Amino acid sequence: MIEIESLVAGYGQVPVLHDVSLKVAQGELVGLLGANNAGKSTLINCLSGTVRPRQGRIRFKGEDITNLAPHKIVDLGMIQVPEGRLVFPQMSIRDNLMLGGISARARKQRRQRLEQVLETFPRLQERLDQHAGTLSGGEQQMLAIGRGMMAGAEVLMLDEPSLGLSPLFVQYIFETIAKMHRMGLTILLVEQNSSLTFRHASRCYVLEQGRVAIDGPTEVVRNHPATRKAYLGM
Amino acid sequence: MDMLAQALIQGFLIGGTYGLVALGLGLIYSVSNIVSFAHGDFMSLAMYLSVSLFAAFAMDPYVSVFITFPVLALVGWGLYYFILRPVIGSNSLMIIQLTLGLTFLLQNGLLMVYGGQMLRVPSMVESKLFLMGDTVMRWPLLIAFIASLALSALLYLMLTRTDFGRQIRAVNQNPKAAALMGVNVTQVRTLVFALGIALLAVAGSLLLPGATLQPGMGLRYTVITLLILVLGGMSNFIGILLGGYIIGLSEAVGTTFLSGVSGMILPYALFIVIMLFRPAGLLGSR
Ligand SMILES: Nc1ncnc2c1ncn2[C@@H]1O[C@H](COP(=O)(O)OP(=O)(O)O)[C@@H](O)[C@H]1O
Ligand SMILES: [Mg+2]
Repeated sequence: MIEIESLVAGYGQVPVLHDVSLKVAQGELVGLLGANNAGKSTLINCLSGTVRPRQGRIRFKGEDITNLAPHKIVDLGMIQVPEGRLVFPQMSIRDNLMLGGISARARKQRRQRLEQVLETFPRLQERLDQHAGTLSGGEQQMLAIGRGMMAGAEVLMLDEPSLGLSPLFVQYIFETIAKMHRMGLTILLVEQNSSLTFRHASRCYVLEQGRVAIDGPTEVVRNHPATRKAYLGM
Repeated sequence: MDMLAQALIQGFLIGGTYGLVALGLGLIYSVSNIVSFAHGDFMSLAMYLSVSLFAAFAMDPYVSVFITFPVLALVGWGLYYFILRPVIGSNSLMIIQLTLGLTFLLQNGLLMVYGGQMLRVPSMVESKLFLMGDTVMRWPLLIAFIASLALSALLYLMLTRTDFGRQIRAVNQNPKAAALMGVNVTQVRTLVFALGIALLAVAGSLLLPGATLQPGMGLRYTVITLLILVLGGMSNFIGILLGGYIIGLSEAVGTTFLSGVSGMILPYALFIVIMLFRPAGLLGSR
């Protein structure tokens, strides 16, 4: 479904990604692991079109989307739930969710999807007219995922959804992700929390200083000596 | 006392239109972080267009606004898309320079086409008067006030109730997140420029009856607009409207009791005092 070929990207003169290739098949839940500053966010921002790659190709369902504008990529159904949630703090939860379904692709089904999101996250229902800035970190993550659901995603890319959340919330967020996956959504999960990622992903990539250091089925990656040493510190 | 009442009413009424002008610039600022120093000159442009339409077709300013509005919208669209978009994100001094350059271009352009003499455009209601208590008021002021208030209310509804408004607020609060939601950020910015500049056509036609035009007058409107914008806290809707009334009132009182140009000292003085106590604007926290 997603094919990245030899991607090179960076900011100004600073290179970040060197020759990264990655594939996600339809219906898969793929984990993308790596230490801080490895280039994980840069990679999915290339997929979303907010960072322009210097070289390489990105294909989505066979179509070349390498230099497509971000809103066009959203229109194709490839949706990012960004690192740090990036909810609109001065807007109500309702308006945040409405914005999640703003694309031409999603606009018609916003009412139904709003119902679904609020069923999934009853805590948001209680606070619909409250500003998003008043929510706790965990609730903001629910809202960010809810916005992604509003978009009618075919692929959901989540950038460190567990970052800064209490263990209870992390558990809850991962269960929600697993549920969405079971309902047929293709998921690319960027995480530093490797144990939970290993539990849910069928395949994993480990990014190290902008290069794919290890990739393969989760079992293989988990037991790879380099993973254990460099990444998990075991 | 009579003169004071007259000045207060007049200032209050005109303040509504000033607020509308500043709302346009505030909207532009809120999605692009650009403060255009040519804002008042675009209003001059609109007013002079009305002059031409009157000269050619004897068209009343209240009618020609239906022509100047789309023209100014087009100008605003082009201003962002061709001139400012390519440099957005670069040094803010560069953008200031660019808009300052535009003021020269517009003022000299108007001077070349219309000459330097003062111009007036008559309107069907220009000389109509009415009584407000004991004070005599001109109809155009009341019309300007009501139209500005109505348009401000429409803008407010647009911002809070429509998808376009949500997109504007999203781009204001976080352009990257907006793009990730599927908002076409460049399109929103371009449309907001078109809208913000087109509002000047409305304000221009409202201020035109009874006004004398002169090619350099844009600067005064720019200054007034910037005072209001800063008073209002840059992108606070209600704050900007409030700022409009305060500047309108103080300008009217100033020019009534202090002679000529020195009348503009009062709004400045008030501005400085307010900013000392409320540096983030009248209602500002953000
Ligand atoms: N907007 C940016 N401008 C300049 N450098 C950036 C920007 N975003 C990230 N970087 C740099 O790119 C590298 C990779 O960052 P990132 O992709 O965020 O890594 P990760 O998500 O794996 O932590 C880091 O060295 C970071 O400092
Ligand atoms: Mg990151």
